Amino acid sequence: MNMEKTKTEQNKTIFELQNLCHHFGEGKKRNNVLYKLNLKIQEGQFVSLVGPSGSGKSVLLRALVGTHPPRSGNVIVYSGKNNEIAVIKKKPDRDIGIVYQAYSLFPFLTAIENVAFGLKLDQTKMLGRLLLPIGWRRLRKQHMELAEEMLNKVGLSEAKDRYPSELSGGMRQRVAIAQALIMKPRIILLDEPFGALDEATRNDLQDLLLTLYQENLAEMKKGNRPAYTVLLVTHELYEALRVGDRVLGLSPHWDWKKEHERFPGAKIVYDEPAPIYSPDKPADFAAMQRQKNKIRKAVFDPIEE
Amino acid sequence: MVGKPLKPWQSMLVMWLSVIIILAGYTFLSNRQHEINANDKTIPTWSQLKEGIQKIVEKNERSGERWLVEDAKASAERLFLGLFYGFFGALFLGLFMGCFPLLDSGLSWPLSILSKLPPTAALALFFVVLGVGTNMYVGVIVVGILPISTLTIRLATRDIPKELINKALTLGASKGEMVFSVIFRHILPKVIDTLRLQIGPALVFLIAAEYACAHVGFGYRLRLQARLVNMDVVYPYLVILILFGFTFDFLLVILQKLTCRWYVEERSGEHGKN
Ligand SMILES: Nc1ncnc2c1ncn2[C@@H]1O[C@H](COP(=O)(O)OP(=O)(O)OP(=O)(O)O)[C@@H](O)[C@H]1O
Ligand SMILES: [Mg+2]
Repeated sequence: MNMEKTKTEQNKTIFELQNLCHHFGEGKKRNNVLYKLNLKIQEGQFVSLVGPSGSGKSVLLRALVGTHPPRSGNVIVYSGKNNEIAVIKKKPDRDIGIVYQAYSLFPFLTAIENVAFGLKLDQTKMLGRLLLPIGWRRLRKQHMELAEEMLNKVGLSEAKDRYPSELSGGMRQRVAIAQALIMKPRIILLDEPFGALDEATRNDLQDLLLTLYQENLAEMKKGNRPAYTVLLVTHELYEALRVGDRVLGLSPHWDWKKEHERFPGAKIVYDEPAPIYSPDKPADFAAMQRQKNKIRKAVFDPIEE
Repeated sequence: MVGKPLKPWQSMLVMWLSVIIILAGYTFLSNRQHEINANDKTIPTWSQLKEGIQKIVEKNERSGERWLVEDAKASAERLFLGLFYGFFGALFLGLFMGCFPLLDSGLSWPLSILSKLPPTAALALFFVVLGVGTNMYVGVIVVGILPISTLTIRLATRDIPKELINKALTLGASKGEMVFSVIFRHILPKVIDTLRLQIGPALVFLIAAEYACAHVGFGYRLRLQARLVNMDVVYPYLVILILFGFTFDFLLVILQKLTCRWYVEERSGEHGKN
Protein backbone atom coordinates (compact mmCIF):
# COMPACT_ATOMS: atom_id res chain seq x y z
CA MET A 1 0.00 0.00 0.00
CA ASN A 2 1.21 3.50 -0.75
CA MET A 3 4.53 2.14 -1.99
CA GLU A 4 4.78 4.92 -4.50
CA LYS A 5 4.79 7.59 -1.81
CA THR A 6 8.11 9.07 -0.86
CA LYS A 7 9.03 9.03 2.79
CA THR A 8 8.88 12.72 3.43
CA GLU A 9 5.51 13.21 1.84
CA GLN A 10 2.68 13.41 4.33
CA ASN A 11 0.22 10.59 3.91
CA LYS A 12 -3.17 12.11 4.55
CA THR A 13 -4.94 8.78 4.86
CA ILE A 14 -5.35 7.74 8.45
CA PHE A 15 -7.67 4.82 8.02
CA GLU A 16 -8.32 2.45 5.17
CA LEU A 17 -10.54 -0.51 4.30
CA GLN A 18 -9.34 -2.91 1.64
CA ASN A 19 -11.85 -5.32 0.15
CA LEU A 20 -13.47 -5.79 3.51
CA CYS A 21 -16.08 -8.59 3.52
CA HIS A 22 -18.14 -9.94 6.36
CA HIS A 23 -20.79 -12.62 6.74
CA PHE A 24 -22.37 -14.65 9.50
CA GLY A 25 -23.04 -18.39 9.42
CA GLU A 26 -22.08 -20.88 6.74
CA GLY A 27 -23.81 -22.95 4.10
CA LYS A 28 -27.53 -22.46 3.82
CA LYS A 29 -27.63 -20.25 6.88
CA ARG A 30 -24.96 -17.94 5.50
CA ASN A 31 -25.94 -14.31 5.88
CA ASN A 32 -23.80 -12.01 3.78
CA VAL A 33 -23.52 -8.58 5.32
CA LEU A 34 -20.63 -6.59 3.85
CA TYR A 35 -19.15 -7.03 0.37
CA LYS A 36 -15.73 -5.75 -0.71
CA LEU A 37 -15.76 -2.40 0.97
CA ASN A 38 -12.96 -0.05 -0.05
CA LEU A 39 -12.57 3.22 1.72
CA LYS A 40 -9.95 5.76 2.70
CA ILE A 41 -10.55 8.25 5.47
CA GLN A 42 -8.30 11.30 5.64
CA GLU A 43 -6.89 12.71 8.81
CA GLY A 44 -9.24 15.33 10.21
CA GLN A 45 -12.29 14.22 8.28
CA PHE A 46 -15.67 13.94 9.94
CA VAL A 47 -17.36 11.16 8.03
CA SER A 48 -21.03 10.31 8.49
CA LEU A 49 -22.21 6.82 7.66
CA VAL A 50 -25.87 6.27 6.88
CA GLY A 51 -27.76 3.24 5.66
CA PRO A 52 -30.97 1.29 6.09
CA SER A 53 -31.48 -0.61 9.32
CA GLY A 54 -29.74 -3.96 9.09
CA SER A 55 -27.40 -2.88 6.29
CA GLY A 56 -24.40 -3.71 8.47
CA LYS A 57 -23.28 -0.38 9.91
CA SER A 58 -22.74 -1.79 13.39
CA VAL A 59 -21.05 -4.87 11.95
CA LEU A 60 -18.69 -2.60 10.04
CA LEU A 61 -17.90 -0.62 13.15
CA ARG A 62 -17.16 -3.76 15.10
CA ALA A 63 -14.76 -4.82 12.38
CA LEU A 64 -13.09 -1.43 12.54
CA VAL A 65 -12.74 -1.52 16.32
CA GLY A 66 -11.19 -4.95 16.03
CA THR A 67 -13.51 -6.85 18.34
CA HIS A 68 -14.92 -8.75 15.34
CA PRO A 69 -12.27 -8.75 12.60
CA PRO A 70 -13.59 -9.03 9.03
CA ARG A 71 -13.86 -12.42 7.34
CA SER A 72 -11.61 -11.16 4.57
CA GLY A 73 -9.97 -7.92 3.61
CA ASN A 74 -8.08 -5.55 5.84
CA VAL A 75 -8.57 -2.62 8.13
CA ILE A 76 -5.43 -0.49 8.14
CA VAL A 77 -4.59 2.22 10.62
CA TYR A 78 -1.81 4.67 9.78
CA SER A 79 0.30 6.31 12.43
CA GLY A 80 3.65 7.99 12.83
CA LYS A 81 4.88 11.44 12.04
CA ASN A 82 3.77 11.35 8.42
CA ASN A 83 1.22 8.57 8.80
CA GLU A 84 3.84 6.36 7.20
CA ILE A 85 3.39 3.38 9.52
CA ALA A 86 0.64 1.08 8.36
CA VAL A 87 -0.74 -1.46 10.82
CA ILE A 88 -3.38 -4.05 10.03
CA LYS A 89 -6.02 -3.91 12.70
CA LYS A 90 -6.41 -7.29 14.39
CA LYS A 91 -7.65 -6.52 17.86
CA PRO A 92 -9.08 -3.58 19.78
CA ASP A 93 -6.64 -1.11 21.27
CA ARG A 94 -6.30 2.56 21.95
CA ASP A 95 -5.81 3.49 18.27
CA ILE A 96 -9.53 3.49 17.82
CA GLY A 97 -11.95 5.03 20.27
CA ILE A 98 -15.60 4.15 20.34
CA VAL A 99 -18.79 5.68 21.69
CA TYR A 100 -21.88 3.50 21.80
CA GLN A 101 -25.49 4.55 22.14
CA ALA A 102 -25.51 2.99 25.61
CA TYR A 103 -23.07 1.22 27.91
CA SER A 104 -20.04 3.29 27.03
CA LEU A 105 -19.57 4.25 30.65
CA PHE A 106 -18.55 2.06 33.54
CA PRO A 107 -21.40 2.29 36.02
CA PHE A 108 -19.13 1.84 39.02
CA LEU A 109 -17.01 4.90 38.21
CA THR A 110 -18.02 8.54 38.54
CA ALA A 111 -18.02 10.78 35.46
CA ILE A 112 -14.49 12.02 36.05
CA GLU A 113 -13.20 8.56 36.97
CA ASN A 114 -14.69 7.21 33.77
CA VAL A 115 -12.74 9.76 31.76
CA ALA A 116 -9.52 9.11 33.68
CA PHE A 117 -9.97 5.32 33.48
CA GLY A 118 -8.38 5.01 30.05
CA LEU A 119 -5.25 6.84 31.15
CA LYS A 120 -5.00 4.52 34.12
CA LEU A 121 -5.38 1.38 32.02
CA ASP A 122 -3.07 2.65 29.32
CA GLN A 123 -0.25 4.19 31.33
CA THR A 124 -0.03 1.96 34.36
CA LYS A 125 -0.01 -1.71 35.18
CA MET A 126 -1.94 -3.38 37.98
CA LEU A 127 1.23 -4.59 39.68
CA GLY A 128 2.82 -1.15 39.41
CA ARG A 129 -0.14 0.49 41.07
CA LEU A 130 0.06 -1.99 43.95
CA LEU A 131 3.82 -1.87 44.41
CA LEU A 132 4.36 1.85 43.97
CA PRO A 133 1.30 3.41 45.56
CA ILE A 134 2.91 6.82 46.09
CA GLY A 135 4.00 7.19 42.49
CA TRP A 136 0.60 5.99 41.37
CA ARG A 137 -1.16 8.52 43.56
CA ARG A 138 0.87 11.34 42.04
CA LEU A 139 0.14 10.14 38.52
CA ARG A 140 -3.48 9.69 39.45
CA LYS A 141 -3.68 13.35 40.37
CA GLN A 142 -2.42 14.31 36.93
CA HIS A 143 -4.94 11.97 35.33
CA MET A 144 -7.77 13.55 37.26
CA GLU A 145 -6.65 17.02 36.21
CA LEU A 146 -6.53 15.97 32.56
CA ALA A 147 -9.93 14.33 32.90
CA GLU A 148 -11.35 17.47 34.43
CA GLU A 149 -9.99 19.53 31.54
CA MET A 150 -11.54 17.12 29.10
CA LEU A 151 -14.91 17.26 30.85
CA ASN A 152 -14.84 21.05 30.72
CA LYS A 153 -14.12 20.80 27.01
CA VAL A 154 -17.22 18.69 26.37
CA GLY A 155 -19.29 21.08 28.45
CA LEU A 156 -19.71 19.11 31.63
CA SER A 157 -18.17 21.25 34.33
CA GLU A 158 -20.62 20.25 37.04
CA ALA A 159 -21.72 16.78 38.00
CA LYS A 160 -18.18 15.43 37.66
CA ASP A 161 -18.54 13.27 40.72
CA ARG A 162 -21.85 11.72 39.83
CA TYR A 163 -22.26 8.14 38.74
CA PRO A 164 -23.58 7.47 35.22
CA SER A 165 -26.96 6.43 36.63
CA GLU A 166 -27.26 9.90 38.14
CA LEU A 167 -26.59 11.68 34.84
CA SER A 168 -29.03 12.55 32.09
CA GLY A 169 -28.71 10.76 28.74
CA GLY A 170 -27.08 13.79 27.14
CA MET A 171 -24.60 14.23 29.97
CA ARG A 172 -23.68 10.58 29.72
CA GLN A 173 -22.85 10.91 26.04
CA ARG A 174 -20.73 13.96 26.77
CA VAL A 175 -18.77 11.93 29.31
CA ALA A 176 -18.47 9.07 26.82
CA ILE A 177 -17.05 11.43 24.20
CA ALA A 178 -14.58 12.84 26.72
CA GLN A 179 -13.64 9.30 27.68
CA ALA A 180 -12.80 8.52 24.06
CA LEU A 181 -11.08 11.85 23.32
CA ILE A 182 -8.68 11.69 26.26
CA MET A 183 -6.96 8.67 24.72
CA LYS A 184 -6.13 10.69 21.58
CA PRO A 185 -7.10 7.80 19.30
CA ARG A 186 -6.35 7.93 15.57
CA ILE A 187 -10.07 7.85 14.89
CA ILE A 188 -13.21 7.96 16.98
CA LEU A 189 -16.15 5.81 15.95
CA LEU A 190 -19.62 6.72 17.15
CA ASP A 191 -22.45 4.22 16.68
CA GLU A 192 -25.72 6.16 16.77
CA PRO A 193 -24.45 8.03 19.80
CA PHE A 194 -27.39 10.39 20.06
CA GLY A 195 -30.09 7.95 19.01
CA ALA A 196 -31.78 7.88 22.40
CA LEU A 197 -31.74 11.64 22.99
CA ASP A 198 -34.39 14.28 22.45
CA GLU A 199 -34.16 16.83 19.66
CA ALA A 200 -32.65 19.70 21.68
CA THR A 201 -30.04 17.55 23.44
CA ARG A 202 -29.13 15.98 20.13
CA ASN A 203 -28.55 19.39 18.68
CA ASP A 204 -26.30 20.39 21.59
CA LEU A 205 -24.21 17.29 21.15
CA GLN A 206 -23.93 17.83 17.41
CA ASP A 207 -22.66 21.30 18.31
CA LEU A 208 -20.04 19.67 20.48
CA LEU A 209 -18.77 17.64 17.51
CA LEU A 210 -18.87 20.73 15.31
CA THR A 211 -16.70 22.58 17.82
CA LEU A 212 -14.14 19.81 17.52
CA TYR A 213 -14.30 20.17 13.76
CA GLN A 214 -13.69 23.90 14.07
CA GLU A 215 -10.63 23.14 16.19
CA ASN A 216 -9.39 20.94 13.35
CA LEU A 217 -9.83 23.76 10.87
CA ALA A 218 -8.02 26.20 13.13
CA GLU A 219 -5.08 23.80 13.52
CA MET A 220 -4.85 23.22 9.79
CA LYS A 221 -4.86 26.96 9.16
CA LYS A 222 -1.78 27.16 11.37
CA GLY A 223 -0.20 24.40 9.32
CA ASN A 224 -0.62 21.77 12.04
CA ARG A 225 -2.20 18.37 11.78
CA PRO A 226 -5.83 18.18 12.79
CA ALA A 227 -6.42 16.39 16.07
CA TYR A 228 -9.74 14.65 15.54
CA THR A 229 -10.93 12.20 12.93
CA VAL A 230 -14.49 10.95 13.33
CA LEU A 231 -16.73 8.30 11.81
CA LEU A 232 -20.31 8.86 12.88
CA VAL A 233 -23.02 6.28 12.27
CA THR A 234 -26.46 7.83 12.36
CA HIS A 235 -29.90 7.14 10.98
CA GLU A 236 -30.73 10.83 10.78
CA LEU A 237 -29.78 12.34 7.45
CA TYR A 238 -29.97 15.83 8.90
CA GLU A 239 -27.43 14.88 11.54
CA ALA A 240 -25.22 13.17 8.97
CA LEU A 241 -25.15 16.29 6.79
CA ARG A 242 -24.76 18.75 9.61
CA VAL A 243 -21.93 17.02 11.47
CA GLY A 244 -20.07 15.32 8.64
CA ASP A 245 -17.93 16.92 5.97
CA ARG A 246 -18.40 13.74 3.97
CA VAL A 247 -21.32 11.35 3.84
CA LEU A 248 -21.12 7.64 3.13
CA GLY A 249 -24.12 5.50 2.32
CA LEU A 250 -23.91 1.78 3.05
CA SER A 251 -26.68 -0.08 1.29
CA PRO A 252 -27.85 -3.52 0.21
CA HIS A 253 -29.54 -1.88 -2.79
CA TRP A 254 -27.04 -2.11 -5.64
CA ASP A 255 -27.07 -4.07 -8.88
CA TRP A 256 -25.47 -7.23 -7.57
CA LYS A 257 -27.73 -9.47 -9.64
CA LYS A 258 -25.57 -8.99 -12.72
CA GLU A 259 -22.66 -10.94 -11.28
CA HIS A 260 -24.01 -12.81 -8.27
CA GLU A 261 -26.55 -15.53 -7.67
CA ARG A 262 -27.07 -14.58 -4.07
CA PHE A 263 -26.91 -11.27 -2.31
CA PRO A 264 -23.19 -10.80 -1.58
CA GLY A 265 -23.51 -8.03 1.03
CA ALA A 266 -23.97 -4.30 1.32
CA LYS A 267 -21.69 -1.86 -0.45
CA ILE A 268 -20.85 1.78 -0.12
CA VAL A 269 -23.14 3.27 -2.75
CA TYR A 270 -22.84 6.92 -1.86
CA ASP A 271 -19.73 8.93 -1.03
CA GLU A 272 -20.01 12.69 -1.36
CA PRO A 273 -18.79 15.75 0.49
CA ALA A 274 -21.22 17.50 2.79
CA PRO A 275 -21.44 21.20 3.58
CA ILE A 276 -19.45 22.40 6.56
CA TYR A 277 -21.25 23.94 9.47
CA SER A 278 -20.14 25.59 12.65
CA PRO A 279 -22.31 25.49 15.77
CA ASP A 280 -23.67 29.00 15.17
CA LYS A 281 -24.13 28.72 11.42
CA PRO A 282 -27.76 27.95 10.61
CA ALA A 283 -28.32 25.03 8.28
CA ASP A 284 -29.19 25.77 4.65
CA PHE A 285 -32.36 23.74 4.63
CA ALA A 286 -33.03 23.94 0.90
CA ALA A 287 -29.60 22.64 -0.09
CA MET A 288 -29.80 20.06 2.64
CA GLN A 289 -33.17 18.86 1.42
CA ARG A 290 -31.77 18.38 -2.09
CA GLN A 291 -28.86 16.28 -0.81
CA LYS A 292 -31.16 14.35 1.51
CA ASN A 293 -33.33 13.40 -1.43
CA LYS A 294 -30.31 12.22 -3.38
CA ILE A 295 -29.10 10.12 -0.47
CA ARG A 296 -32.54 8.64 0.04
CA LYS A 297 -32.72 7.64 -3.58
CA ALA A 298 -29.21 6.22 -3.69
CA VAL A 299 -29.07 4.50 -0.33
CA PHE A 300 -32.53 3.77 1.01
CA ASP A 301 -34.73 3.10 -2.01
CA PRO A 302 -34.62 -0.34 -3.60
CA ILE A 303 -33.37 -0.11 -7.20
CA GLU A 304 -35.92 -0.67 -9.89
CA GLU A 305 -35.43 -3.59 -12.22
CA MET B 1 -47.67 0.37 45.68
CA VAL B 2 -51.44 0.48 45.83
CA GLY B 3 -51.84 2.01 49.29
CA LYS B 4 -50.80 5.49 50.29
CA PRO B 5 -47.25 5.74 51.66
CA LEU B 6 -47.13 6.30 55.43
CA LYS B 7 -45.36 9.10 57.25
CA PRO B 8 -42.33 7.86 59.22
CA TRP B 9 -44.01 8.34 62.62
CA GLN B 10 -47.04 6.45 61.36
CA SER B 11 -45.09 3.44 60.20
CA MET B 12 -43.11 3.50 63.47
CA LEU B 13 -46.37 3.47 65.40
CA VAL B 14 -47.81 0.62 63.36
CA MET B 15 -44.60 -1.37 63.81
CA TRP B 16 -44.58 -1.01 67.61
CA LEU B 17 -48.29 -1.71 67.73
CA SER B 18 -47.83 -4.99 65.90
CA VAL B 19 -44.96 -5.96 68.23
CA ILE B 20 -47.14 -5.28 71.27
CA ILE B 21 -50.05 -7.22 69.79
CA ILE B 22 -47.87 -10.23 69.08
CA LEU B 23 -46.34 -10.21 72.59
CA ALA B 24 -49.76 -9.74 74.17
CA GLY B 25 -51.17 -12.56 72.06
CA TYR B 26 -48.36 -14.82 73.16
CA THR B 27 -48.89 -13.94 76.82
CA PHE B 28 -52.62 -14.63 76.50
CA LEU B 29 -52.07 -17.99 74.80
CA SER B 30 -49.51 -19.18 77.30
CA ASN B 31 -51.65 -18.12 80.29
CA ARG B 32 -54.65 -19.98 78.91
CA GLN B 33 -52.55 -23.06 78.23
CA HIS B 34 -51.31 -23.00 81.81
CA GLU B 35 -54.84 -22.73 83.17
CA ILE B 36 -55.58 -25.99 81.36
CA ASN B 37 -52.30 -27.67 82.29
CA ALA B 38 -50.08 -26.04 84.88
CA ASN B 39 -47.04 -28.09 83.81
CA ASP B 40 -47.21 -27.18 80.14
CA LYS B 41 -43.87 -26.60 78.42
CA THR B 42 -44.96 -26.04 74.81
CA ILE B 43 -45.95 -22.41 75.35
CA PRO B 44 -43.77 -21.40 78.27
CA THR B 45 -44.73 -18.41 80.39
CA TRP B 46 -42.38 -15.48 80.67
CA SER B 47 -41.03 -16.73 83.98
CA GLN B 48 -40.40 -20.16 82.48
CA LEU B 49 -38.61 -18.52 79.59
CA LYS B 50 -36.47 -16.63 82.05
CA GLU B 51 -35.46 -19.91 83.68
CA GLY B 52 -34.71 -21.34 80.26
CA ILE B 53 -32.46 -18.43 79.43
CA GLN B 54 -30.70 -18.87 82.72
CA LYS B 55 -30.06 -22.50 81.83
CA ILE B 56 -28.56 -21.34 78.57
CA VAL B 57 -26.22 -18.70 79.90
CA GLU B 58 -25.23 -20.09 83.27
CA LYS B 59 -22.41 -22.53 83.81
CA ASN B 60 -23.67 -26.05 83.50
CA GLU B 61 -22.99 -28.18 86.58
CA ARG B 62 -22.00 -31.29 84.72
CA SER B 63 -19.79 -29.92 81.95
CA GLY B 64 -18.69 -26.71 83.66
CA GLU B 65 -19.36 -24.84 80.40
CA ARG B 66 -22.08 -22.41 79.42
CA TRP B 67 -24.32 -23.92 76.75
CA LEU B 68 -24.57 -20.79 74.74
CA VAL B 69 -20.81 -20.31 74.70
CA GLU B 70 -19.88 -23.83 73.73
CA ASP B 71 -22.68 -24.13 71.16
CA ALA B 72 -21.96 -20.73 69.64
CA LYS B 73 -18.24 -21.47 69.43
CA ALA B 74 -18.75 -24.78 67.69
CA SER B 75 -21.49 -23.66 65.32
CA ALA B 76 -19.86 -20.35 64.46
CA GLU B 77 -16.58 -22.00 63.57
CA ARG B 78 -18.35 -24.49 61.29
CA LEU B 79 -20.55 -21.86 59.73
CA PHE B 80 -17.86 -19.29 59.04
CA LEU B 81 -15.39 -21.79 57.68
CA GLY B 82 -18.11 -23.23 55.46
CA LEU B 83 -19.21 -19.81 54.26
CA PHE B 84 -15.61 -18.77 53.74
CA TYR B 85 -14.62 -21.71 51.57
CA GLY B 86 -17.98 -21.99 49.86
CA PHE B 87 -18.27 -18.33 49.08
CA PHE B 88 -14.72 -17.48 48.08
CA GLY B 89 -14.49 -20.70 46.12
CA ALA B 90 -17.66 -19.71 44.30
CA LEU B 91 -16.38 -16.20 43.71
CA PHE B 92 -13.14 -17.45 42.26
CA LEU B 93 -14.75 -20.16 40.14
CA GLY B 94 -17.68 -18.04 39.00
CA LEU B 95 -15.52 -15.09 38.03
CA PHE B 96 -13.05 -17.14 36.06
CA MET B 97 -15.68 -19.38 34.48
CA GLY B 98 -17.47 -16.26 33.33
CA CYS B 99 -14.26 -14.83 31.92
CA PHE B 100 -12.60 -17.85 30.35
CA PRO B 101 -14.58 -20.28 28.19
CA LEU B 102 -12.01 -23.03 28.70
CA LEU B 103 -12.66 -23.15 32.45
CA ASP B 104 -16.34 -22.80 31.79
CA SER B 105 -16.70 -25.89 29.64
CA GLY B 106 -14.43 -27.85 31.97
CA LEU B 107 -16.24 -27.01 35.16
CA SER B 108 -19.85 -26.40 34.37
CA TRP B 109 -20.89 -30.05 34.14
CA PRO B 110 -19.44 -31.19 37.49
CA LEU B 111 -20.91 -28.12 39.12
CA SER B 112 -24.34 -28.67 37.68
CA ILE B 113 -24.27 -32.29 38.91
CA LEU B 114 -23.12 -31.11 42.31
CA SER B 115 -25.86 -28.51 42.44
CA LYS B 116 -28.47 -31.26 42.11
CA LEU B 117 -27.10 -33.14 45.13
CA PRO B 118 -28.85 -32.30 48.40
CA PRO B 119 -25.93 -32.40 50.83
CA THR B 120 -28.18 -33.38 53.71
CA ALA B 121 -29.04 -36.57 51.83
CA ALA B 122 -25.38 -37.37 51.42
CA LEU B 123 -24.43 -36.87 55.05
CA ALA B 124 -23.13 -40.41 55.27
CA LEU B 125 -20.75 -39.65 52.44
CA PHE B 126 -19.34 -36.60 54.21
CA PHE B 127 -19.10 -38.64 57.36
CA VAL B 128 -16.96 -41.24 55.65
CA VAL B 129 -14.82 -38.85 53.63
CA LEU B 130 -14.32 -36.01 56.08
CA GLY B 131 -14.69 -37.65 59.48
CA VAL B 132 -16.76 -36.35 62.34
CA GLY B 133 -14.89 -33.14 63.11
CA THR B 134 -15.44 -29.59 61.96
CA ASN B 135 -14.44 -30.57 58.42
CA MET B 136 -17.60 -32.52 57.89
CA TYR B 137 -19.88 -29.57 58.64
CA VAL B 138 -17.72 -27.30 56.55
CA GLY B 139 -17.97 -29.79 53.71
CA VAL B 140 -21.75 -29.95 53.94
CA ILE B 141 -22.04 -26.18 53.81
CA VAL B 142 -19.57 -25.84 50.95
CA VAL B 143 -21.32 -28.45 48.85
CA GLY B 144 -24.63 -26.84 49.72
CA ILE B 145 -23.81 -23.30 48.70
CA LEU B 146 -20.88 -23.41 46.30
CA PRO B 147 -22.51 -24.70 43.11
CA ILE B 148 -25.44 -22.28 43.16
CA SER B 149 -23.27 -19.32 44.15
CA THR B 150 -20.78 -20.15 41.44
CA LEU B 151 -23.48 -20.31 38.80
CA THR B 152 -25.00 -17.04 40.03
CA ILE B 153 -21.68 -15.23 39.90
CA ARG B 154 -20.89 -16.72 36.51
CA LEU B 155 -24.20 -15.43 35.19
CA ALA B 156 -23.55 -11.99 36.61
CA THR B 157 -20.21 -12.01 34.81
CA ARG B 158 -21.88 -13.00 31.57
CA ASP B 159 -24.49 -10.28 31.97
CA ILE B 160 -21.99 -7.46 31.65
CA PRO B 161 -22.79 -5.63 28.40
CA LYS B 162 -20.37 -6.58 25.61
CA GLU B 163 -19.96 -2.89 24.85
CA LEU B 164 -18.31 -2.31 28.21
CA ILE B 165 -15.80 -5.08 27.62
CA ASN B 166 -14.99 -3.72 24.16
CA LYS B 167 -14.79 -0.25 25.59
CA ALA B 168 -12.24 -1.38 28.15
CA LEU B 169 -10.20 -3.01 25.39
CA THR B 170 -10.12 0.21 23.38
CA LEU B 171 -8.87 1.92 26.53
CA GLY B 172 -5.99 -0.51 26.72
CA ALA B 173 -7.06 -2.90 29.48
CA SER B 174 -4.89 -5.97 29.99
CA LYS B 175 -6.43 -9.35 30.79
CA GLY B 176 -5.81 -8.91 34.50
CA GLU B 177 -7.25 -5.42 34.51
CA MET B 178 -10.26 -6.68 32.61
CA VAL B 179 -10.94 -9.33 35.25
CA PHE B 180 -10.24 -7.26 38.35
CA SER B 181 -10.72 -3.61 37.43
CA VAL B 182 -13.72 -4.04 35.16
CA ILE B 183 -15.54 -7.34 35.59
CA PHE B 184 -15.01 -7.84 39.30
CA ARG B 185 -15.97 -4.26 40.09
CA HIS B 186 -19.04 -4.62 37.97
CA ILE B 187 -20.28 -7.77 39.67
CA LEU B 188 -19.20 -6.89 43.23
CA PRO B 189 -22.66 -5.74 44.41
CA LYS B 190 -24.21 -8.90 43.01
CA VAL B 191 -21.51 -10.95 44.71
CA ILE B 192 -22.49 -9.39 48.02
CA ASP B 193 -26.16 -10.08 47.25
CA THR B 194 -25.27 -13.69 46.57
CA LEU B 195 -23.58 -14.00 49.95
CA ARG B 196 -26.61 -12.42 51.62
CA LEU B 197 -28.89 -14.97 50.00
CA GLN B 198 -26.65 -17.90 50.90
CA ILE B 199 -26.53 -17.31 54.66
CA GLY B 200 -29.98 -18.83 55.06
CA PRO B 201 -29.19 -22.04 53.17
CA ALA B 202 -25.82 -22.32 54.89
CA LEU B 203 -27.59 -22.22 58.26
CA VAL B 204 -30.09 -24.83 57.11
CA PHE B 205 -27.32 -27.20 56.07
CA LEU B 206 -25.37 -26.62 59.26
CA ILE B 207 -28.31 -27.13 61.61
CA ALA B 208 -29.42 -30.22 59.72
CA ALA B 209 -25.96 -31.76 59.89
CA GLU B 210 -25.66 -30.89 63.57
CA TYR B 211 -29.10 -32.33 64.20
CA ALA B 212 -27.91 -35.61 62.81
CA CYS B 213 -24.32 -35.94 63.96
CA ALA B 214 -23.12 -33.32 66.43
CA HIS B 215 -22.40 -33.47 70.15
CA VAL B 216 -22.24 -29.74 70.54
CA GLY B 217 -23.64 -26.82 68.58
CA PHE B 218 -26.96 -25.15 67.91
CA GLY B 219 -28.46 -28.02 65.95
CA TYR B 220 -27.44 -30.53 68.60
CA ARG B 221 -28.91 -28.46 71.45
CA LEU B 222 -32.12 -27.83 69.57
CA ARG B 223 -32.62 -31.50 68.87
CA LEU B 224 -31.93 -32.50 72.46
CA GLN B 225 -34.14 -29.88 74.04
CA ALA B 226 -36.92 -30.30 71.53
CA ARG B 227 -37.05 -33.97 72.31
CA LEU B 228 -37.50 -33.12 75.99
CA VAL B 229 -40.08 -30.51 74.94
CA ASN B 230 -38.01 -27.86 76.70
CA MET B 231 -39.43 -25.04 74.66
CA ASP B 232 -38.12 -22.58 77.24
CA VAL B 233 -34.69 -23.37 75.83
CA VAL B 234 -35.71 -23.91 72.21
CA TYR B 235 -37.40 -20.54 71.72
CA PRO B 236 -34.48 -18.43 72.94
CA TYR B 237 -32.18 -20.46 70.69
CA LEU B 238 -34.41 -19.76 67.71
CA VAL B 239 -34.47 -16.07 68.59
CA ILE B 240 -30.67 -16.06 68.71
CA LEU B 241 -30.53 -17.64 65.25
CA ILE B 242 -32.90 -15.02 63.88
CA LEU B 243 -30.92 -12.21 65.45
CA PHE B 244 -27.73 -13.62 64.04
CA GLY B 245 -29.25 -13.75 60.57
CA PHE B 246 -30.41 -10.16 60.82
CA THR B 247 -27.05 -8.90 62.06
CA PHE B 248 -25.08 -10.65 59.36
CA ASP B 249 -27.43 -9.42 56.67
CA PHE B 250 -27.30 -5.90 58.05
CA LEU B 251 -23.50 -5.91 58.03
CA LEU B 252 -23.48 -7.05 54.41
CA VAL B 253 -25.90 -4.31 53.44
CA ILE B 254 -23.56 -1.79 55.05
CA LEU B 255 -20.62 -3.33 53.23
CA GLN B 256 -22.51 -3.03 49.96
CA LYS B 257 -23.30 0.60 50.65
CA LEU B 258 -19.67 1.33 51.41
CA THR B 259 -18.14 -0.48 48.46
CA CYS B 260 -20.81 -0.06 45.78
CA ARG B 261 -22.50 3.26 46.28
CA TRP B 262 -23.19 3.40 42.53
CA TYR B 263 -25.29 0.25 42.70
CA VAL B 264 -27.33 1.39 45.65
CA GLU B 265 -27.99 4.72 43.92
CA GLU B 266 -28.87 3.01 40.67
CA ARG B 267 -31.42 0.91 42.48
CA SER B 268 -32.95 3.63 44.57
CA GLY B 269 -33.18 6.34 41.90
CA GLU B 270 -35.72 5.88 39.15
CA HIS B 271 -34.18 8.76 37.23
CA GLY B 272 -31.43 8.17 34.72
CA LYS B 273 -32.86 4.99 33.27
CA ASN B 274 -33.16 5.17 29.53
N1 LIG C 1 -23.70 -11.43 16.02
C1 LIG C 1 -24.40 -11.62 14.88
N2 LIG C 1 -24.68 -12.86 14.43
C2 LIG C 1 -25.35 -13.06 13.30
N3 LIG C 1 -25.79 -12.08 12.52
C3 LIG C 1 -25.56 -10.82 12.89
C4 LIG C 1 -24.85 -10.52 14.09
N4 LIG C 1 -24.75 -9.18 14.23
C5 LIG C 1 -25.37 -8.66 13.14
N5 LIG C 1 -25.85 -9.64 12.34
C6 LIG C 1 -26.55 -9.43 11.08
O1 LIG C 1 -25.85 -8.45 10.35
C7 LIG C 1 -26.74 -7.62 9.66
C8 LIG C 1 -26.41 -6.17 9.91
O2 LIG C 1 -26.61 -5.84 11.27
P1 LIG C 1 -26.17 -4.44 11.87
O3 LIG C 1 -26.45 -4.52 13.32
O4 LIG C 1 -24.79 -4.12 11.46
O5 LIG C 1 -27.17 -3.43 11.18
P2 LIG C 1 -27.17 -1.86 11.30
O6 LIG C 1 -26.88 -1.31 9.97
O7 LIG C 1 -26.30 -1.42 12.40
O8 LIG C 1 -28.69 -1.58 11.64
P3 LIG C 1 -29.32 -0.52 12.66
O9 LIG C 1 -29.42 0.76 11.88
O10 LIG C 1 -30.67 -1.08 12.94
O11 LIG C 1 -28.44 -0.42 13.85
C9 LIG C 1 -28.13 -8.02 10.07
O12 LIG C 1 -28.68 -8.80 9.03
C10 LIG C 1 -27.94 -8.87 11.29
O13 LIG C 1 -28.88 -9.89 11.32
MG1 LIG D 1 -26.58 -0.58 14.37
